[in-house]
Amino acid sequence: MSRRFRVVTDSTSDVPPAWRERFGIEVVPLTVLFGNESFRDGVDLSDDEFFSRLRGASKLPTTSAPAPGDFAAVYERLSRECDGVISIHLGGNLSGTVDSARLGAQAVDGFPVHVVDSRSVTMCVGFLSRLAAESTSLEEAVQRVEERVPRLRILALLDTLRYLEMGGRVTRAQALVGTVLDVKPIMGVAEGRISALDRVRTRRKALPRLVELFHQDEPVERVAVMHAEAPEEAQQLRARLAEGLPGAVEIEMSQIGPVLATHTGPGAVGIAYIKAG
Amino acid sequence: MLLTLQSAVEDIKESHTTEVSKIARIAAHGSLMGARGNSGVILSQIFRGFGNAVQQKSELDPAELAQAFEEAANAAYRAVIKPTEGTILSVAREAGRSAVAAAHEAGVTPADVIKAAAAGAKVAVERTPSQLKILQEAGVVDAGGYGLQIMLEGMVRSVEETGADALAPPPPRVAAQSALELPEEGWGYCTEFLIRGEALDVERLREEIAALGNSALVVGEPDLVKVHVHTDDPSRVIALASSHGRIDRLSVGDMSSQHQRIRQESSVGAQVAAGGRPPQAAAQPARANGVGLVTVVSGPGLVEIFRGLGADATVEGGQTMNPSTQDMLAAVESVPYDEVVLLPNNRNVVLAAAQVPGLSGKRVHVVPTESVPQGIAAIVAFNPERPVDQNLQEMRKAAGHVQTIEVTHAVRDSRSNGLRVKKGDVIALINDKLKHAGADYGSVVRAALDGIKAADYELVTIYRGLQATDVEAEKLSEAIRGRFPGLEVELQAGGQEHYPFILSVE
Repeated sequence: MSRRFRVVTDSTSDVPPAWRERFGIEVVPLTVLFGNESFRDGVDLSDDEFFSRLRGASKLPTTSAPAPGDFAAVYERLSRECDGVISIHLGGNLSGTVDSARLGAQAVDGFPVHVVDSRSVTMCVGFLSRLAAESTSLEEAVQRVEERVPRLRILALLDTLRYLEMGGRVTRAQALVGTVLDVKPIMGVAEGRISALDRVRTRRKALPRLVELFHQDEPVERVAVMHAEAPEEAQQLRARLAEGLPGAVEIEMSQIGPVLATHTGPGAVGIAYIKAG
Repeated sequence: MLLTLQSAVEDIKESHTTEVSKIARIAAHGSLMGARGNSGVILSQIFRGFGNAVQQKSELDPAELAQAFEEAANAAYRAVIKPTEGTILSVAREAGRSAVAAAHEAGVTPADVIKAAAAGAKVAVERTPSQLKILQEAGVVDAGGYGLQIMLEGMVRSVEETGADALAPPPPRVAAQSALELPEEGWGYCTEFLIRGEALDVERLREEIAALGNSALVVGEPDLVKVHVHTDDPSRVIALASSHGRIDRLSVGDMSSQHQRIRQESSVGAQVAAGGRPPQAAAQPARANGVGLVTVVSGPGLVEIFRGLGADATVEGGQTMNPSTQDMLAAVESVPYDEVVLLPNNRNVVLAAAQVPGLSGKRVHVVPTESVPQGIAAIVAFNPERPVDQNLQEMRKAAGHVQTIEVTHAVRDSRSNGLRVKKGDVIALINDKLKHAGADYGSVVRAALDGIKAADYELVTIYRGLQATDVEAEKLSEAIRGRFPGLEVELQAGGQEHYPFILSVE
């Protein structure tokens, strides 16, 4: 395959397997640790395996970013196949992944690696990866990706804040969630910031609220519905979203991968999208 | 009502005035500040009407006195959105009419006018069961109306006796003390903290901590447990808890000094924040929309839930211990926001809460929640990023969507809504209306849930009160799960009095 540049991302981009093949997108896995056992996200551990382990685990798993060497190895290999790389990653405020990528890039002399901090996660990064791969040059890819970073949005209903809290990403107070009563937060990710947008006591109230919040951000150019073991609700959410969207915008649907699901917990459902420019 | 009247009486005594217009004005103000419950608030409006009628007057003749009684009743009617006959309102009106009729007689004295008012009130009170079906079914007269009758009869006795002798000894300060639990072995320290850990055994912790103090409240999940206990030896409690997990947000308060401070303050200001705790407003992060939240609630578990959801101050108040307008006003003033949303959480507190916006220098909005579940639904719908108008709209909507089931025991035999109830029976009130009665919690709650078609809902939250045990609560949860497998059931320790269980269905 002779292409002038390639696209690298990480496993939290939730890029569908079909896109990887079709667009030649390289995916560097993060790590999930159950106690002393470590698994490469999406390589040694499928989504289904992850959730079945999670159900049986007495202790919550933890996650870790790829080592700079992991990135260096990928860039090194690609330096023999093409003239440059755009490497698009999970937000630097959420993980050390993008820093690892930058360090890895420095280790490969004389090969241009353009590292992008998406300040987002999941299919927002997936969409950027595809956009980059569909570009005609590295310069065009960098430009198309960077101009969209401020327009990436995620809305998500979490079944519980427990996982996000254990991962140290957010406190209960920040999430508007008390310590006693079980309240389900609706979280948003925008421009690198995780914030609590609302809270509900029942999931039934949450879906219309997600759609309402989404409508406030329209028009959009790309939309995906994401879930962690909540396929039925994801379908319902997709149907609700489809009603209000112009036919040209397709709604991708996919499961949240193990590393991200470690922080959202099972039962999370959400929308990842790019606002129109 | 007694507390409302005491508040007026104390203010009058402190003023040392003898001028009738001034006394009436002070009575109106004092009763409003101390108003508790529906009857208390209406009483304050009666004083207000009386005060308006006697403005600028240093003395009253019989006709003016009668007119003031009549105007008092009119003011009370105006204050109520939907006046109901057979209550303190109709009793006040009959008292006024009788007074006016008596004032037309020749040679009448002020004492005759007061006697006529009292006699009119008595007749009206006797009539209340024929005006209100619930009174008839329960076999009682209206309590608020009867209270007004007793007040008027007290006035008669007072004018028949002479000057100073007529003054009763100062009443005991029941109000402030009853808001706090009095441990037998002294005040000790109010000790609170969170335990973070893994697989914490909440039941065992509760037993161990309860053995070290009283008023113990130990609630939570296997990874996070909240402890509240009054103990003489906080260090032992802390040492015990540390052996189970990591201690967080520790707070130890000396209740002896707290108690003294409360006694020194006026009875009313002391009850702000349940359990005698001062409002902890400063600990909260500043809120984007600059809106504070104040809520009326009692029971340590429920207080904790409301605080966890963002309440900046809580006012102690429950089914029979209605907080006064002054209590709520003090709480509103204590929070560091210029705009405040107030949640009364009880039908009988709504009216007293509605007086607060007019008395506070802050912008105060009352979302008229009539039950604990409505209050929780409303506060969950509050979002600090949203402007206040939108929040008020969402909070009202959320409160309107939740169904409340209150479970308690009948205090006497009665017939109500065609339901025959024996003293001691378990009864369920759905949205404040008595709907079901029976022998045990499980069957009565199941009937109540059937009645509201609970299968159409998603979540039942059970708030366990002081009178119910953990075992009873677990049994009730199981009974609900068995009948409605599609419903999620959440059990919380509310710690409220009077209702062994409050259920929220949403």
